[in-house]
Amino acid sequence: MSLFLNLSSQGLINGAVYALIAIGLAMVFGLLRILHIAHAGLFALGGYLGLVITNATGSFALGLVLSMALVAVCGVLMYRLCYEPILDQPPYVPLIASVGMFLAIEELLRLVFGDHGLSYHVPPLAGAIEVGSMRIKYAEIAVVVMACVLLGGLALFATRTRIGMAWRATVSEPRMAASCGVSLRQVRYLNFAIGSAFAAAAGVMVGVLNNLVEPSMGAVPSYKALAIIVLGGLGNMGGTLVAALLLGLVEAFGATYLSNYLDRDSIAFAAMLCVLLIRPEGLFSGPARATGGLAKTLQLKGAAKWVLTKRPS
Amino acid sequence: MSPRSTPRFVRLAAGLLCGLALVGGALAQTTTKIGFQAGLTGPAAADGNAGLAAAKLAVEQINGAGGLNGKKLELVVYDDQGKPEQAVPIANRMVGDGVRAVVSAGFSGPSRAAAPVFQKAKIPYIASIAFAPEITRTGNYMFRVTSVGEVQGRAAAKLVGEVLRKKRTVLLTIKTDFGKTLAAGFKEAAPKFGVQLLKEYEYAPSDRQFGPLIASIKADNPEVIYATGFYFTAGPLVAQLRSAGITADVVGAESLSSQQYIDIAGQAAEGTVITNVIDWGSQLPEIADFLKAYEKATNSKAEAAATSTHAAVTTLAAAIRKARSDEPEKIRAALETTEVMTAIGRISFNKLHEVKKSFPLSIVRNGKWERFGVIDDAALLAPPEQ
Repeated sequence: MSLFLNLSSQGLINGAVYALIAIGLAMVFGLLRILHIAHAGLFALGGYLGLVITNATGSFALGLVLSMALVAVCGVLMYRLCYEPILDQPPYVPLIASVGMFLAIEELLRLVFGDHGLSYHVPPLAGAIEVGSMRIKYAEIAVVVMACVLLGGLALFATRTRIGMAWRATVSEPRMAASCGVSLRQVRYLNFAIGSAFAAAAGVMVGVLNNLVEPSMGAVPSYKALAIIVLGGLGNMGGTLVAALLLGLVEAFGATYLSNYLDRDSIAFAAMLCVLLIRPEGLFSGPARATGGLAKTLQLKGAAKWVLTKRPS
Repeated sequence: MSPRSTPRFVRLAAGLLCGLALVGGALAQTTTKIGFQAGLTGPAAADGNAGLAAAKLAVEQINGAGGLNGKKLELVVYDDQGKPEQAVPIANRMVGDGVRAVVSAGFSGPSRAAAPVFQKAKIPYIASIAFAPEITRTGNYMFRVTSVGEVQGRAAAKLVGEVLRKKRTVLLTIKTDFGKTLAAGFKEAAPKFGVQLLKEYEYAPSDRQFGPLIASIKADNPEVIYATGFYFTAGPLVAQLRSAGITADVVGAESLSSQQYIDIAGQAAEGTVITNVIDWGSQLPEIADFLKAYEKATNSKAEAAATSTHAAVTTLAAAIRKARSDEPEKIRAALETTEVMTAIGRISFNKLHEVKKSFPLSIVRNGKWERFGVIDDAALLAPPEQ
């Protein structure tokens, strides 16, 4: 029983990290139909910035906030300088550009900060609480809380504010939104800023959990997040969240009971292949075919319709 | 110009060219070119660059002492990017460059891919950190200065049973050739030393979060955890083990020997024991001088990859000196019988050109690796012969 609870909580923690990373990828795909591989590069960059700023100033809060802000700016610049000029090209062109940027960020981190990666001088959020027979680290609690706050905030923002509504309108009908006076470019800036900031937050928290940031830390998220957004129905926010949590849980149990047969990282892909074979539109796509109440409520009240957008011109 | 004068002109030109070629040849003869292969970019870069720094240091030391047989050593450096498909073209280029021998600080994949090229070209090839068994089986020009995984795994079993005097052990094996061979050696020798295996878990090199595995290890309640892996996997692992309240001894392999392991795991690293190639605190000049010089040159502490690569260059130099020639065939023959004191201790090669050496043990005390004895048991540590 204690093992079961322990594994469940670990799954939840991993799921929270996956959700923070994957949501940005789903947002970019929903809006622009680009597979934004470089998102994982921003994740790694966020991890590095958070650590470097924390080590330099001694304040983890400052490191986290500054890292999110700086990476948000980098995300916007990445869109403006790299994606915008090639939006008219066939989808594989931005994909290749994205892979190139991902590798560039990885090697840049290697050149600037060294091959060995970096660690916190004083690990933030050290310590743990005892819950029954389990010990849960403060950092692990912080990851889950942060994911809830950020994603909840995003849901409120998208449904309750004028900007959020303009954003959703752009996702579902870009031309109509533009003719109503919504600036497509500003919506895309906003999209990249939020998604990148979330990735940075995830990067910082992974850096804290491992007490290690390394140039290749984006490698696994780069493809795992891809599997998650496919599972969740490409571009579907609610589906992405559910898929991220599910994957976290499945991996936690799989790593224990299947570790000698199946690589932990291959679980995501086995699941992705199955879903592509059986439900190519993803587990949670389309409001009409939503797989029950849980998915429906998690679809952030209409945000799921983002998936229905055509590729904007 | 008369028709007769043309041949004379041609002869003159040809003579001049020959003269130039001779001069050029004489210039080329003043150095002995040693190839160096490693992953200097990409995922292998940490070990590759450490190896390169150590190889450069060894060459500097040898040249500073007057070179070998009146010639200076020249390191010809190529980057295999950690990829087998890159290793073959650079191996061919090294052969074209006229290297007399090659030292590889590359991982198993690229080294295994490059080995047949050098075997065919009859150029001695010394792998310093590649564990793949196929390398030395490629042919008689192949050598290895690091022990294969099985041998080190056997040493770890003796460490657990005889030095730590513990029994109940859980294996936590990284899913690489290195990790699996370590585990195989450990399992093979464990009964000899009364070590009881409770369970074996495997994890991927990309894993940094071990929560689920740790939850099950806690239920197993072991006395010792034999955690194979690298500083970037075992560092987070040990920190997570300790914060989950597991107090079992942690035993690892030489791949944890870098200071980064301690930086990552912090307080949790205290008491970790590994089978190492570095004998910290040794007074022997070959070891102590290297450790000091490496730290001075790179501003970081030596770890296994650097130390083994330094030993590979030292061994090669000893063989060239012994052969009194830099002919590849003579170097190869000399390597077979060379016994030399290096930064990883006294080493020689067996029939299969696998290294014969002992394992110094290291323990983390007060945030530093310290000496913890040695596993020196020639019968137990005999490398494979075929």
